Amino acid sequence: MIGAVARRLGGSVLVLWGAVTVAFLALHLTSGDPVDLLTGLRASSDGLRAEIVREYGLDRPLALQYLTFLSHILQGDLGDSYVLHLPVRTAIGQQLGSTLQLLAATVVVTVVIAVPAALLGAGRRPWVRTPVSLLEGLGVAVPAFWLGTLLLGVFSFKLRWFPALGAPGIDGLVLPALALAAAPAAVIARVLRRGLEQTLDEPFVTTARTRGVGEAAVRLRHGLRHGLLPVATLVGWLTGSLIGGAVVVESVFSRQGLGTLAVTAVRNKDLPLVIGIVLVAGLVYTVVNTAVDLSYRLIDPRLRTREA
Amino acid sequence: MPTPGTATTSTGTTGTATATATATAGTATAAAAERRRTAPRTRRFTSRPGVAVAALTALLPLAAACSSTANGAADQAAAGPPKAGGTLTLAVPYGPTCLDPHQGQADALFSRAVLDSLVWQDEKGAIHPWLAKSWKISDDQRTYTFVLRPGVTFSDGTPFDAAAVKANLDHVVAPATKSAGAAQLIENYRSATVVDDHTVEVTLAAPASSFLSGLASPGLGIESPATLTDDPKALCSKIVGTGPFTSAAGFTPQQGITYQRREGYAWAPEGAANQGPAHLDGLTVRVVPENSSRLGALTSGQADAASAIAPVNVAKLKADPGFAVQSAVAPGVPFSYNPNTEKGALSDVRLRKALRAGIDWPLIVEKLYFGVYPAAQGPLSPTTPGYSKSVADQYKYDPAASAALLDEAGWTARDAENYRTKDGKRLTLDFLYVGDYFGPHVALATQIQAAAKQLGIELRNQNLDAGSYVKRVLAGDYDLLNSSNNNFSPDGLRLIFGSAHIPTTKIDNNAARYHDAGVDAKLAEALAAGDPQKQNSLYAEVQQKVTDDAAILPLFNNAYVLGRSAKVHGVVFEQQSFPNFADAWLSQ
Repeated sequence: MIGAVARRLGGSVLVLWGAVTVAFLALHLTSGDPVDLLTGLRASSDGLRAEIVREYGLDRPLALQYLTFLSHILQGDLGDSYVLHLPVRTAIGQQLGSTLQLLAATVVVTVVIAVPAALLGAGRRPWVRTPVSLLEGLGVAVPAFWLGTLLLGVFSFKLRWFPALGAPGIDGLVLPALALAAAPAAVIARVLRRGLEQTLDEPFVTTARTRGVGEAAVRLRHGLRHGLLPVATLVGWLTGSLIGGAVVVESVFSRQGLGTLAVTAVRNKDLPLVIGIVLVAGLVYTVVNTAVDLSYRLIDPRLRTREA
Repeated sequence: MPTPGTATTSTGTTGTATATATATAGTATAAAAERRRTAPRTRRFTSRPGVAVAALTALLPLAAACSSTANGAADQAAAGPPKAGGTLTLAVPYGPTCLDPHQGQADALFSRAVLDSLVWQDEKGAIHPWLAKSWKISDDQRTYTFVLRPGVTFSDGTPFDAAAVKANLDHVVAPATKSAGAAQLIENYRSATVVDDHTVEVTLAAPASSFLSGLASPGLGIESPATLTDDPKALCSKIVGTGPFTSAAGFTPQQGITYQRREGYAWAPEGAANQGPAHLDGLTVRVVPENSSRLGALTSGQADAASAIAPVNVAKLKADPGFAVQSAVAPGVPFSYNPNTEKGALSDVRLRKALRAGIDWPLIVEKLYFGVYPAAQGPLSPTTPGYSKSVADQYKYDPAASAALLDEAGWTARDAENYRTKDGKRLTLDFLYVGDYFGPHVALATQIQAAAKQLGIELRNQNLDAGSYVKRVLAGDYDLLNSSNNNFSPDGLRLIFGSAHIPTTKIDNNAARYHDAGVDAKLAEALAAGDPQKQNSLYAEVQQKVTDDAAILPLFNNAYVLGRSAKVHGVVFEQQSFPNFADAWLSQ
């Protein structure tokens, strides 16, 4: 068990190192002198350029820059953002809470939509199932930015039920979380429904029903756990799509967040900031995937070994 | 981050230098009883993509059409005396590159609330006392002696004195500050000497008629000397000044900034409507990148004002009695296409003139921006001091003259696609831009391309990444670029047409690569001239000459377009056409 955890940790560190290195190389190998980007394509004096080169060590060989940069990261120093003029840790810290709140709210909304939809729709007659599956199709098809704009227009600008300007607090989270949750909720509802339908055809379900277990109990106690397995395998994809979707949703709802920060950083070749965000995103990814691996054992007793 | 309306080869110098200072040597200006912050003219504007980054140009988001909205004065009369209290919420498309205007591209909107300047410049270009109550200029125009207003304090308790002025000027030009715009405004500054607590003597390396105008710009806002000794980066999120507002928490990227009224403020510029503390308890500026979200926030009452209203929405907002649109045409060099006068097809002046006469530029601008941006007719915007109207008639649509010029230049044959050719070579022009910065104007480039095709010219619009763009600009490997320059001084002409500013080793403003010894000499002479009349006649000659040489193809004048609720009063525009909230108030 301890060996397994150590292996997993080692793997995660390798993944993070790889991600950071790729980000470093990608930014350095694309065309353009970083100094031009740092001056924002403004007219700049030679003195300004020399100062930038000196401050960021851009005149040293690439290999040396890379080693310097790695050693700083190992010491926990992510450096200063070129463009925001803030330490990277501060810049990310300012935005991280807001994005985590949005992601947490989105996960809640996703579960609240997807699980009941799957439980209601699975193996029912067509008049129940058809609307559910139509909604699933819609949820996947509608782009988040369009849905976000629509939700804003109706519920914030017209009805004035919810604030629009990236308001802190629960009421400011409702609309963005809905916009971001639509696609994942639709996909999960569909996968879960299929899983449930398969499970409900299993002999043990028939056995349970003959014992007189009610329909609700059959679906919740017996069906749901089996149906969840394929969903768990989707969590990795889901994390990626949420992080990607957050960029758009944060912008539409004028929310602070890592998504917008990441776009800005890449666009400006803001190397220290890009690396910082890559590290954070990589960390989230590894944590989520580890948690998923562990959750298989909770969901499916067949996977539990007797090592522990 | 996003940046701005348009990009170009260069950056807007946000400063301004101006030449029409009324301060003549040896006397302090008497205050004109001018209203201080300029009333807006009426026009509108476009927005830039939500990028919050240093943009190529300090472009204003523009918007607007001729608006009937009143200027501050008329509005005031209708609304009665100002009421104190309340917090005004303003939605803007992007945040400042750096809150400290000494470093960033003076994003006047964010720093002006907190920082005062030594002098105030009215909309006609006249200079009035502010933190400096009077000044003398030596006969050789190289020494400026300022007498400072007593009793002024920074909000951190530091007294404002001669040492503070020296510390600020030195900070602007210090290499570690890496100034993006402010240092250019006072590039001839050499040193300052503290004579006594309230007298400071500033020495210039060479005469500069634009110096006082530079001091008046938001870029030269005076900060507490106690904060200038820290790491310059810290100033990008928090600044301390003597201004009518303070901001303890500072700016948070992608969120915004909140200001509180500075109690006891009593040193507004001479002639300001409000000589005491601000009427508003607070001012909240929120970054809202999406045009539709900003507009919705305004119309639903979640924001009291929103800048960069998209041109397409201006008319509807103006028609709503609950709202008004205020706009100000930006001074400086208009949003333009800059032909490469050094090499390639456009080094032939006949082709440049053919392009100028053969495309109906004003029509294209009108179609795309609904009259919100006025079509430009000349190398300077009409709101710039020293603007010369006499060149306007050379910017007229005349397709017959254009065709004759092209024929005369030898582009008479036509190929299978009906493009003009000469010696078997097609007449092809490359227009370069960076999509991130030029985004909102792609439709414009497409229209111009179609109009050029009518002339038999193949115009290729090339969207490049910033790196490739810089390489090709420095190599002069292009036919057309785009630029604009917000500058409250005809000295802006020097940055755009002076041969010292041709981009060869680094990005610079002379995208036309224009090099004319006579123009260089006149621009230098105007900068050194103490007499405003002489300056103006020199600048008029330069405008005539670059027009004769068709060294610029101006499209439209940028404008700052502010949508606001009817309960907002007293918002006026200042030097670079940014809104100023020092006199603003809310009626309930």
